[in-house]
Amino acid sequence: MSESVALDRPDVLTDLGQETLRRLIRVWFDFERRLARVPIIRRLDLGQFNLEDYQNLLLNMRPQVVEGARWIARCASSFDRDHADVRSVIIGHAQDEHRDYEVLEADYVTSGGDLQTLQMQPRNPGSEALHCFLMYRAGQPNPVDLLGAMWIIEGLGEKMANDWAMRMEELIDGSRDFTRFLRYHGDNDDSHMDKLYGLVDRVCTDQNAADRIVRTAKVVARLYAMQLEEIEHV
Amino acid sequence: MSVYITSTGAFLPGPPVDNDEMEEILGLVNGKKSRLKRRILKANGIVTRHYAIDKDHNTLFSASDMAVKAAERCLEQSTLSTSQVKMLSCATTQGDMVIPGFGSMVQADLGIPEVELHTTHGVCTCSSMAIKAAYNNIRVGDQPNALVVVSELASRLFKNTHYEAAGGSAAVNFNAEFLRWMLSDGAGSLLLENQPRGQCLRIDWIRSFSHADSYPVCMGIGATTDPDDTRTWQDFPTYGEAEAHGALLIRQDIRLLETIVKIGVDGTLKLIEDGLLDTDKLDHLLCHYSSHHFKSRIYELLDMAGARVDEEKWYSNLYTRGNTGAASILIMLDEFLSTDRARPGDTIICMVPESGRFNVAYIHLTVVEEGNE
Repeated sequence: MSESVALDRPDVLTDLGQETLRRLIRVWFDFERRLARVPIIRRLDLGQFNLEDYQNLLLNMRPQVVEGARWIARCASSFDRDHADVRSVIIGHAQDEHRDYEVLEADYVTSGGDLQTLQMQPRNPGSEALHCFLMYRAGQPNPVDLLGAMWIIEGLGEKMANDWAMRMEELIDGSRDFTRFLRYHGDNDDSHMDKLYGLVDRVCTDQNAADRIVRTAKVVARLYAMQLEEIEHV
Repeated sequence: MSVYITSTGAFLPGPPVDNDEMEEILGLVNGKKSRLKRRILKANGIVTRHYAIDKDHNTLFSASDMAVKAAERCLEQSTLSTSQVKMLSCATTQGDMVIPGFGSMVQADLGIPEVELHTTHGVCTCSSMAIKAAYNNIRVGDQPNALVVVSELASRLFKNTHYEAAGGSAAVNFNAEFLRWMLSDGAGSLLLENQPRGQCLRIDWIRSFSHADSYPVCMGIGATTDPDDTRTWQDFPTYGEAEAHGALLIRQDIRLLETIVKIGVDGTLKLIEDGLLDTDKLDHLLCHYSSHHFKSRIYELLDMAGARVDEEKWYSNLYTRGNTGAASILIMLDEFLSTDRARPGDTIICMVPESGRFNVAYIHLTVVEEGNE
C-alpha cells in the first residue's frame, strides 16, 4: 500500500500539480461564465427569478443529486489497493452526501411542491448525459480523472450555492425555509474542496493523468451547464 | 517595429480632498449625511482624491481642460512640440459633449494641426484601447509618434441635485450611491514613439479579454431604477423624465462586482498559458484595482494558481490619487516612474480589470535605455 497523503490543502504542490491546479482554475472560470449565460441563472442574476423557477431548478436537479452518491461510490470502488488512500477520501465523500437528496425533497415540499411529482421527474437530457458520463468514467480502473468532476461539482457547492441561496431568499418571500439543500452544500463543500486539493499531487503523477483530469473537468462543466439549460425545455 | 513610451504626464485638479471633505463638495442628498459613505470608503481604502468641481458645483476644469493639462505636461518633458504630434488617441468614460468624439475637443484645445485622430469610449479599459490603437499605428509604420490622452470627470455625476431629481433617498440605494464614494477626477497622458529616448519603456504587447457575452451590465448610466423597465435614457419623451426615472444615475451592481477578480485572474493565467507572461520574472505589477478589498482577493487567487506576484512588486496610487477610471493606469504609471523604482531591464505589467460589463486589459512593458537596448 502506498503512503498516506496529507489531506489538507498542500502548501507546496509539485510543478505538475500546480500546473494542473492552474488549468483547473481556468476551467472553473470558464464554467462560471457558461453558467452566467444559462437562462435560469441569468434570471437569478438580474433579479427576475421566481418561485416557479426555483421549483423547476429543484425538479431538474434531483435526478442528478440522487445519482450523485452512486457515481462517487462506484468511483471509490474502482480504485485498486495501490490507491487505497485515495479511495478512503472518496468513500468519506460519498458517505457525506449519499442522502442529501432527502434535504432537497424536503425543500421542494416546503416550497409548495408535490413530492410525487418530484420523485417521478425523469432526468432531463443534460442530466442524462452527465449521469451516463460520470457512471461510465467511475467504472474505469483507477478513475483519477474524476478529480476533475469533483472539482466542478464540489466547486459549485463551495463557490456558488450560498450566493444562489442568498439571492433566492432576497427574491422569493419566505424561501429561507426551503433553501436548506443549497445552504448545506454552501456550508460544507469547502471542506470537501480542501480534501480535493490534498489529492491533486497524489493523482497528478504524469502529464497524461493531468490532461485527463482537466478534460474530465471540462466535460462535466459542459454537461452540468447543459443540465441547467435544459430546464427551459422541460 | 518596436514602440516606446518616451514621456508621461498627469493632471489632478485642485488640492487633495480627504474623506471628511468629500460630502461637503458633492453635497448632502436631501440635506442628510450618507449612511453608507464610511463603509464604502473603508472597503476601498482611498484616503484622498481630487475633484474638478467646487462646493457650489461650478466646474473648474472640464474633462477636456484636464486632458490638455496632462498632455502639455507629457509633451513638456519630451523632445516633441505639440505641432509635431502625428496621432492623437483619446479616451474617456464621459466627455463634456455627448457628440462629437472626445478626441476632437482635445485636439481643438491642444491646437494640433492635421493630426490622425482616434477616440475610444468605455469604462476603465478604454484607455488601454486608446494605447493599443496608438501602438499599432506606430508598429505598422503609419505614424512615427502618437499622443495618448485620457481624462475622467466623474464628480459632476455625484452632485446631490442629481440624486434628488431621481427621487432622493428612496431612489438612492446602495448600488446608486456606491460609486459616489469611489470615483474622482483626473487625466493622464503618454507619448508613444518609434524610437527610444533616454530611459523609457518598450511596449512588449497589449492584450485584453472581454466577457460581456457572459455577464449583465455591472456598472453603467442609462437604465432606470426599475430592473423590469427596459427603456434607456433616450427612450423617454424628455430628459427630465429620464432623470426622474433614475436613468441618468451611475450605478454599480454590487453583487456582480466580485466577478472582476475572477476575470482579472483568469486573464493573467491565460497570458501565462499562452507563454506571454512569466510572473516569476516580473518586476512590477501596476494594477488598477478599484478597491483595496480586490487587491487581496486577486493576490490570493494568483497565489493559489501558482502565479503569485510578491507584495513588494505591487504598485498603486489609488489610495492618494483616487479612482479616476480610465485615467487611473496612466496617472499610476506617471507617478510610478517618478519614484525611480524602475531599473533598465525591469519588466512591468499594467493590469486593468473593468467592471462595466467585464473586460480586462494588460500592457507589458520593459524598461530600456536609448542606445543600450
